[in-house]
Amino acid sequence: MASAANTNLNAVRETMDVLLEISRLLNTGLDMESLSICVRLCEQGINPEALSAVIKELRKASESLKASENCAN
Amino acid sequence: MASITELLGSLCDCSLSGVSWKRRALGGVSREAFHRALKKRAYGALLSKLFQDGTKGSALAQSTIATTPPRNKVLMISFDLRVAGCREEAERLEEQLERLPEGASSGLKEVDAVLELLVHLAGSAPPPHTSF
Repeated sequence: MASAANTNLNAVRETMDVLLEISRLLNTGLDMESLSICVRLCEQGINPEALSAVIKELRKASESLKASENCAN
Repeated sequence: MASITELLGSLCDCSLSGVSWKRRALGGVSREAFHRALKKRAYGALLSKLFQDGTKGSALAQSTIATTPPRNKVLMISFDLRVAGCREEAERLEEQLERLPEGASSGLKEVDAVLELLVHLAGSAPPPHTSF
């Protein structure tokens, strides 16, 4: 039982490493933490296209915040 | 297992990394207020996609793209990379795609959905800095 869980954990880890490398090559801007969250959201049934729109929207918002911070300095 | 609400909250947290909140708090923008605003925008983006009509663009072209398996879409990007002269990146991409297990052997339920997400986000980040 524990061995089956370990095998699955190793498979997940390996798949995540490959997905992160593909993500890097595609220049998506996702780090391991945000990729893990995205994987879990996809597993919950969130539409990938809608999720990509959410990520782009969040980037726009945080970039404008960072830009205003730079202007204030 | 975390709920969609919790996961979207975590995604908002990730996008706020690197922002100095001590100085922000003095200017009247608290982390909590901005986090709430971010969540609102995230839900807005998520819901707007659910209610989009299918009248934009050619219906045939849209359905062809929609039914193309995500692995093939990655191969199409790889082809574009080759055409653009980025042979090494294209080969690395194909190599990683071959390494990516399919179905249950990946340990994940939705590998293709994640690949689809990566295709949608392809090229959305600023290019990496090159050092001279």
